[in-house]
Amino acid sequence: MTPSLALRRVSVRGLRNLARVDIEPVPRLNVIAGDNGHGKTSLLEAIYLVSTTRSFRAERAGEVVQTGQDLATIIATVQDGLVVREQRAIVGPRVKSYLVDGKRPDRLVTFATLTPVVVFHPGDLSLVTGPASLRRTLLDRVALFHEPTSGDHRQRFLRALRERQDILERKGSSAAELSVYEELMAREGALLAAARERAAERLTEALTPAFTRMAARELELGVSYRPGGTTDSDQFGAALFSHRAADLRRHTATFGPQRDELELSIDGRPARTQASQGQQRVLTLALKVAELATVRAARGAEPILLLDDVSSELDPARTGAVYEFLRETSGQVFVTTTRPDLLVTPGATIADRADWHLRDGALVP
Amino acid sequence: MRLLARLPGVGEKTAMRFALHLITDAALARELGASLVELPARIGPCERCGNLAELSADGQVRCSICRDTRRDPTLLCVVAKIQDLLAIERSGAMRGRYFVLGKLLSPLDGIGPEELPLRSLVAIIRSEAVTEAIIATPPSVDGEATALYIARELSGLGVRTTRIASGIPHGGDLEFADQITLGRALEGRRRIGE
Ligand SMILES: Nc1ncnc2c1ncn2[C@@H]1O[C@H](COP(=O)(O)OP(=O)(O)O)[C@@H](O)[C@H]1O
Ligand SMILES: [Mg+2]
Ligand SMILES: [Zn+2]
Repeated sequence: MTPSLALRRVSVRGLRNLARVDIEPVPRLNVIAGDNGHGKTSLLEAIYLVSTTRSFRAERAGEVVQTGQDLATIIATVQDGLVVREQRAIVGPRVKSYLVDGKRPDRLVTFATLTPVVVFHPGDLSLVTGPASLRRTLLDRVALFHEPTSGDHRQRFLRALRERQDILERKGSSAAELSVYEELMAREGALLAAARERAAERLTEALTPAFTRMAARELELGVSYRPGGTTDSDQFGAALFSHRAADLRRHTATFGPQRDELELSIDGRPARTQASQGQQRVLTLALKVAELATVRAARGAEPILLLDDVSSELDPARTGAVYEFLRETSGQVFVTTTRPDLLVTPGATIADRADWHLRDGALVP
Repeated sequence: MRLLARLPGVGEKTAMRFALHLITDAALARELGASLVELPARIGPCERCGNLAELSADGQVRCSICRDTRRDPTLLCVVAKIQDLLAIERSGAMRGRYFVLGKLLSPLDGIGPEELPLRSLVAIIRSEAVTEAIIATPPSVDGEATALYIARELSGLGVRTTRIASGIPHGGDLEFADQITLGRALEGRRRIGE
C-alpha cells in the first residue's frame, strides 16, 4: 500500500554539517546510516524543520545554520494524496521564511500542521522519567493539530507571564499595570489549560489500547492531567492576585499551566519513580504511538515518522522499537542507525526499504 | 553613508547604493539636502493627536484630520503609532479623529504606564464631545495589555470604551493588515469588559 502522505524529495543546504544533501526517499522505509557525528540526526532535523518550523533538538531554529553560512535552506516535495506541494524553510539567526509553493501561508501554524510529522529521538527516552516539560510538549503537539489556536494561547500566556514576573520584581506587588497582565495571563492561560485538558483526553484514548497491546502482561495504566492553573479565567485571575507575594519571593510564577503535569501510573504507582525500566520503556513507546494516532486522527493522514537512533548495537532491545513502530504505522518512516545490517524490519519488504549512507555530511554510495 | 544606514529599513548595502547615486546626481543631492534641512521646521507632531502635521504660520500645530470639521467629533480612535493611523485612514472605515500613543506598555523594555501620554488623552476626552474611545492597538500581548490599561483609566469618564475585533492575526501588525480586514475589525468592535 502506498501511503497518501510522503516526502518525495528533500534538499538540504547549509544545515549543521550538511552542506548539500539531496535525497529522493521511498514511500515506506528510509534507513539513514553512518557513523556517529556524520549528520544522520541533522538530516532528520532538516525534515522536521521543513515540516514543523521547529527543530527537535535546538531551542531556536536559527541555531542549525552551518558554521560559516548565513542561512540554512530545506526544500521538500510532499505528496499529499493527489496533490504535490513544495515546502521551503529558509532560516538564519535573523531570518525565518516558510513558503508553500512559493507563497507565504496566512499563519505560521498553517504551515506547521500541513505535513504532520512525529519524531522519536533519544531525548524522548525520558518522556516518562524526565521533567514534566517533556510531557507538556507532548500535550501541546497533540493540541496543536486539533486546535491550531492553542499554540497562540501558549505563546501569549508565556509572554504575559514573563512580563508580569518582570513587573513584580522591578516594581513590587502593587504596580498599577500588574492587573492587566494578570488579566491576559488568566484569559490565555485558561484557554491553554482547556486545550491541554482536551489533548490529554484524546491522548489517553489512544494511549490505553497502545499500552495494553505492547505490555507483556496485563497492567493497569492511569493517566491524568493535573493542571497547575485552572480553566476558569475568573478563578485564574483571582489566584494570580493572591500569589503575588509568593511569586515575588520565589522569583517564579507558581500558578498556571507552566506547572501542568501529565501524571502516569502503572498499577496505581507513579510510573515516573516506581515502574520498572521495562515498563517505563513500553510506556514511552506507547506515548509516541498515541501521539501518532491522535495526529493521524486530527489530520486525516498518516503522519511521517522520524526515528532517531532508536536502534543501536549497544542496545539490541531497542531495535524492537523500530519493529513496533513499523507495525503501528503504514506511513513513511525515516530511521537513523550506525548499523543498518542489524536493523531487521519485518514490517517492510526489501522493495519497501531504501538505505542512505552519510559520511562527513554528504551522501556516499 | 553612516547616516543613511541609521534610517529604518536601510542596511549597509542600501546605504552604499544611495550614497553612490547621490554622488553621481549632485542636483538631487542638493535638493534632498535642502528639504531635509527644512523638514523639522515644517513638519512636526500634531499637538492634539500626535499625527504628522505641517506647522502653520500662526504657531498652531494641528494635523489635517484634527482640523477637518466634517469628522465625527464623538469618535476617537486610539492607535499605537502613526503608521497604524495611516493604515486605518486608508481603509476609509473611521469617520472620527485619532490619538497616537507613540508607544505600548512593554515591561521587558522598561516601558510602564507612566510613559503613556494618558493625561493628554484624558484631557481630550474631558474637553471635547467624545462619546466613544475605540482602542485600536495591535493584537499582541503588549497591545492588549495597553488596551486594557487605557480602558481602566477611562472608566468613570462617561465614554464607551471599545476594542477593535480580532481578525488581524495574533501578533500581526495593523500597519500591514489589508483594508478590508481593518474595516471589518473596526466595524466589529466590542465594548471592553463585556
Ligand atoms: N552549526 C553547525 N555547523 C557545522 N557543523 C555542525 C553544526 N552543528 C553541529 N555540527 C556537526 O555536525 C555533525 C553532525 O551531527 P549529527 O547530525 O548529530 O550526527 P549523527 O546523528 O550522525 O551522529 C557533528 O559532527 C557536529 O559536530
Ligand atoms: Mg545522531
Ligand atoms: Zn491631529
